[in-house]
Amino acid sequence: MSRLLGILGRVEGLPVGVVLALLYVAFMIFAPTVFTSYRIYMSFFQTVPPMLVLAIGLTFVITAGEIDLSFPAVVALSGFVFTWCFETFGVAWPGVLLALAAGALVGWVNGFLVAMLRVPSIMVTLAAQFFWYGVTILAAGGLQIDIASVLSSPVHGIFVGRLFEVFPVQALWSLGLVVLFWFILNRHRFGQAIMFIGDNAEVARVMGIGVETTRIRLFTLNGALAAFAGLILTLELNVFYPTQGQGMLLPVMAAVFIGGTSIAGGQGALVGTFFGMYIIGSLEAGVVATGIGGYWVQLVEGLVMAASVILNIVIGDSGLSALSSTARRWAVGRR
Amino acid sequence: MRKVMRLAIAIGLLAASFGTWAADKEIVIYMQMGGTQGDASTLARTNGARAAAAANGVKLIEQYSKWDQQTMIDQFKQALAAKPDGIAIMGHPGETAFAPLVDQAEGQGIIVTSGNNPLPGIEAKYQTKGFGYAGADLYAGGYLTGEAMVKAGGLKAGDEALVYDIWHQEGRSRSSQGVYDALAKAGLKVDKLDVSAQVDSETSLGIPILTAYLQAHPKLRAIGTQHGNVTAILPKVLQAAGKKPGDVICGGIDLSPATVSAIEQGWISASFDQVLYLQGYVPVMQIVWTKRYLVPGLHVNTGVGTVTPQNVASIKPLIKEGIR
Repeated sequence: MSRLLGILGRVEGLPVGVVLALLYVAFMIFAPTVFTSYRIYMSFFQTVPPMLVLAIGLTFVITAGEIDLSFPAVVALSGFVFTWCFETFGVAWPGVLLALAAGALVGWVNGFLVAMLRVPSIMVTLAAQFFWYGVTILAAGGLQIDIASVLSSPVHGIFVGRLFEVFPVQALWSLGLVVLFWFILNRHRFGQAIMFIGDNAEVARVMGIGVETTRIRLFTLNGALAAFAGLILTLELNVFYPTQGQGMLLPVMAAVFIGGTSIAGGQGALVGTFFGMYIIGSLEAGVVATGIGGYWVQLVEGLVMAASVILNIVIGDSGLSALSSTARRWAVGRR
Repeated sequence: MRKVMRLAIAIGLLAASFGTWAADKEIVIYMQMGGTQGDASTLARTNGARAAAAANGVKLIEQYSKWDQQTMIDQFKQALAAKPDGIAIMGHPGETAFAPLVDQAEGQGIIVTSGNNPLPGIEAKYQTKGFGYAGADLYAGGYLTGEAMVKAGGLKAGDEALVYDIWHQEGRSRSSQGVYDALAKAGLKVDKLDVSAQVDSETSLGIPILTAYLQAHPKLRAIGTQHGNVTAILPKVLQAAGKKPGDVICGGIDLSPATVSAIEQGWISASFDQVLYLQGYVPVMQIVWTKRYLVPGLHVNTGVGTVTPQNVASIKPLIKEGIR
């Protein structure tokens, strides 16, 4: 028993995964018509991926002991860059590359200011959020742009098409990125450097880690990921609107923290982020489907979020070890 | 001595003529436009205000609040501090919030007028000083949209309908109440669902919520909303729920490119059009008329109509020009 608990305690993201599973079981019991049908899950696979991609980048940034508040602006900027390129030249691939480059550039500037000029990342990225959002609105003239013709482009099929005419491809992209970045965070020097910096930047420097270079790369990576999120959001809706991404800041941050990434840095949990994002992304729809109406929705959402975080702490890595020790003592006492 | 007097007279004349020129040329107006620059519920209003300003030599300061009521109040205070000739406000924060600020402005001789959401008490108090209103009757507009939905879909008593909107803000749900009442009067079983703050700022997050609602209510025949961006995502919702155009009758508001496209394709049966261009043009003219000709506040109904698959082709060129 205690060995089993010990093993479970080392499974990354397990408590949040359990919460997600319990949540879906509850939704299946209270809203069986909705949650035993595949359509609602396809809807989640359609709308959660942009936020999940954002959450991957933010998990890295928070693990490094930094914060990035500018990603909503990058979502809008990259969506505009792609749309402008597609509308102006009628080609999609250069638009994809330019959009990603624009996001990476914003991230690089953020990283440079944080790493080289030692400006706190919260200030740099807050200013960047206002600045790049303003740039996007100015460049777009505040207009929504309909790009229905992108539906016939291969880019649309590759990034947000439907497998077997049902399954949203963006869900596979986001899952693939989670796997890739899990290996980078846990098995690659770059990931190790991020964790060391998040734990103690000065010690990391003494160990020979290029703290400044790593921070610049980190923010650049986050900018590029945010741009990719903006891209799939724009392609999915076939329309660019200047406010896109602006409502994603809090849900994405909530998913990262629910997932178990330490707010103090030094520890990142991408699997937890993955489950956390699906909790956040499906919560309101689930509550609505159960028939809990009116203003109760927000209250129930808050309760589930709080329960997720508490469960993560109570039966998380260290919590499960303590539970395992208690179980061992109890077993010894019985003998 | 004569030289000094001549110089004084010359300076006096110059100052007087400059004053006259300034009075003619430099009417400064702060105007609250509503959402964000260029969005579907704001663009035509901005264009109308700019046209009126250009025609009258007005310096127009545009204020965008993302429909946030606190921001509207803050913007009024900022405008007040700049002491302009006039301020055009949105009525959404309500009379309790705006009354002391309008009192202060009027006390300083600033002309205040309103739009989009009426403030009848303040309007009655300061109408003689130029406080007018330019906007549609939102409730009537919503009611008309609801009636158009019933007509378009042949909806009948006992059919299920949903009105999805920002019910937690009274100032932003008047037209939705109109939709609700029109559907209810036709005998439909109407449910209300609140648009959360999260969905309000990122409407793509509303897709799974409405999909879940549709799945939970397989007999749902109609969805109404008076949220411009939610209107735009309705086709995506219906596609996600496996519906075809016409399976669920949808009614919305405003004329964003995505909404116009959805009307053309038959996903949306009616969208409320409140002639936003006039809601921009009239408040600027109101302040100019009051400033120059002491015209009292005018209560202007900018019109209530719906854009449907039948008339969208004729109105589309005007939408492209940013006039509708």
